[in-house]
Order: sequence, then C-alpha cells, then structure tokens
Amino acid sequence: MSDRIELTTPVGRAWDPVIRLVLGGIGDRLDLGFDELDDLQLAVERLLAEARLEDRVTLSFEILERSVRVRIGPILTGAVAEALQGPPSKPGELTLGRILQTVVDSYGVEKVEDGHMVVRLEKAVRRG
Amino acid sequence: MTGSPVHATLDDRELLRRYHEGGDASAREALVQRHLPLVRSLARRYAGRGESLEDIEQVGAIGLIKAIDRYELSREVALTTYATPNVVGEIKRHFRDKGWAIRVPRALQELNGKMGPTIERLTARLGRSPSIAEIAKEFQTTPEQVLEAMEAGSAYAPQSLSAGPDGDSELDPMETIGAVDEEFARTDERTSLEPALELLPEREQLILKLRFEEGLTQTQIAEKIGISQMHVSRLIRRSLERMRAQLS
Repeated sequence: MSDRIELTTPVGRAWDPVIRLVLGGIGDRLDLGFDELDDLQLAVERLLAEARLEDRVTLSFEILERSVRVRIGPILTGAVAEALQGPPSKPGELTLGRILQTVVDSYGVEKVEDGHMVVRLEKAVRRG
Repeated sequence: MTGSPVHATLDDRELLRRYHEGGDASAREALVQRHLPLVRSLARRYAGRGESLEDIEQVGAIGLIKAIDRYELSREVALTTYATPNVVGEIKRHFRDKGWAIRVPRALQELNGKMGPTIERLTARLGRSPSIAEIAKEFQTTPEQVLEAMEAGSAYAPQSLSAGPDGDSELDPMETIGAVDEEFARTDERTSLEPALELLPEREQLILKLRFEEGLTQTQIAEKIGISQMHVSRLIRRSLERMRAQLS
C-alpha cells in the first residue's frame, strides 16, 4: 500500500506557502531535483489559482513506486474541468492545460466517491 | 509604439472617443504612454516593500490600461482622476495577493540570497538540478531550513498599504478619488491566458515561450538568458500571475 498524506486548508493566497512547504517536504523525502519540485509546486499553485474551488480544498499526496500523485479538490464543475478533460492544448496556446502538460507527467479530472470532482496530477520520480 | 504626432495634439477626451467609438488602438496606446508618468509617480509610493519599483510600475500600468478600457465617455471626470484609483487598486491587489503575514528571520533572508548562485554551481557540478538535501548539505543546514528559505523569497512583512513610504498615515489615494477598483471576479470562460501575453515585457514573453512552447527546463532557460534558475522560476510565476490579473 502506498504512503498517503492529506492536507485540508482554507482556499486563499495566504495558505499557498503552507501547501508549498508540505510539497517541499515530500519532494525532499523523494529526492526530487529543485527543477522537478518547482514544477510540481507550480502545477498545484496554478490549479489553486485557476480552478473554481469551494472554501476549503483537500490535497492528497500519494507516494508511488516511481511517481508522486496529487489530487486536489473538490473543484466546481465548469470551464476549467472541461478544459482539462478536453483535447490537449494546441501549439502556441498558453492555457492551464498547456502549463500542466509541461510541468507534470500526467493530469486529469476524476469523480470521487462522494460525487465531487478532483484534479489529479502525477509527477515521475527519477531517482538515481 | 508611442502614438502618431497627430495623437500628441489631441486631448484625452478625443483619444478616448477615437478608441471607444472608432476602435483606434493607437489612440489607446497614446493614452497609455501619456499617462505612464502618473503610474510611475503612484508606484513610487509603494517602493521599498519587497518589490522592485520596475515591477510595481508594470503592475500599475495594467491598472491604467483597465481604466482606459473601462472609461465611459458619458463620465464628466478627467481620465487621470478616474485612472488613479484603478492604478492604486491594481498595485494594492498585487501586494495583497503576495502578502504573507510573517516576518522573515534575517538568517533565512540571507540563506535565500545565497540560494540562486549555489543551485547554479551545484547544477553545473552535478549535471542536473540538485535535490533539497544536496542544497542543504552545501549550506551545512537542514532540508527544512532550505525549504523555509526558498519560501522566504516570496514573503515580505506587510505594512499598511494605505500608509506612505515611511509608514506614515498619509492619505490614501483610494479614499480621496473615485470609486474602489472592482473585486477579482472569476469567470468560467477564462481558461486561456493568451490575450494577456503580449502585455508582458519581452524577456518574460520569451521565458514563457521557451518553457511552455519549446519545453526547455528552467535550468536550460537560465543558461540561455543568463540569469539564475531561481530567477527564472520567479519570473514564470510572476508572469502567469500578471496575465491572470490582466484577464480578471
């Protein structure tokens, strides 16, 4: 069974540093390079900034054999969820999808047990 | 583009009319250029709070552009009067969004200051981006201290943004002129940042293009542009934030 860490915080810029520090701690344990950690932090920050969230957000970090998987939600359905579920961004388009395509290895929108939607991000861990 | 000599002879009202009624984009540009000194003057009031003056001026310029775009010709008020609270509002929102209510210990500030060159040196030595543990080892400190120092780079001790440059209780322009800038409103349609890209400085446009179109890593961009990897990281975040603010 994979290790899992969960964090529930209010939504707001004041809480972003807390989330970045938790991600940093996880990145350190996984021996992520500064580049990779910064990519993962950027992905989460952009999602928090762009997705329509309720007043609290739960981030779940799952430590897998060769990757770290982050789930963020619940998100309110809308254009962001549709954009992430749609076809990949075209070259030259700077969208949330394009940013995520660049900084994580995979992403998607999932419906969880209670019917809420969450965004899933996965970043490969390239340990020496 | 600074507007034609003809534009220089026209008053604000005529330029606003040409822009709003005739769609003359060069009239808009002429208005922006004409009122940048106002932005600079307002930006100076917020200098010394952890952001460079140049950055504050750029944020203020977004407020000016919004004011020009939102101005209604039926208004009896001068553009400068209408623009001032918009510019100030944009600058305040920028600080508020970045605000983090802590004071950063000097040791962390110093560690943060040394981080960029150290990461660069380690990247060159290792041939890859260093891990947090490797950076910590270099500084003979703990990974937690490194993470906190990284975070300190985006923190500042907030003062009242209504106070003057020395923290005095100088009157807030927001309280003396016009209406409060509109609050940030999310819309479902805002999924593309593209329209705001061209408003960024050229270097930031280039960095975003290299990162998100050409897929270069931060390390590769840092080498190409001649700045540190940490600086690339900060510029990417700042650019995306500005584009989002512009679209809001």
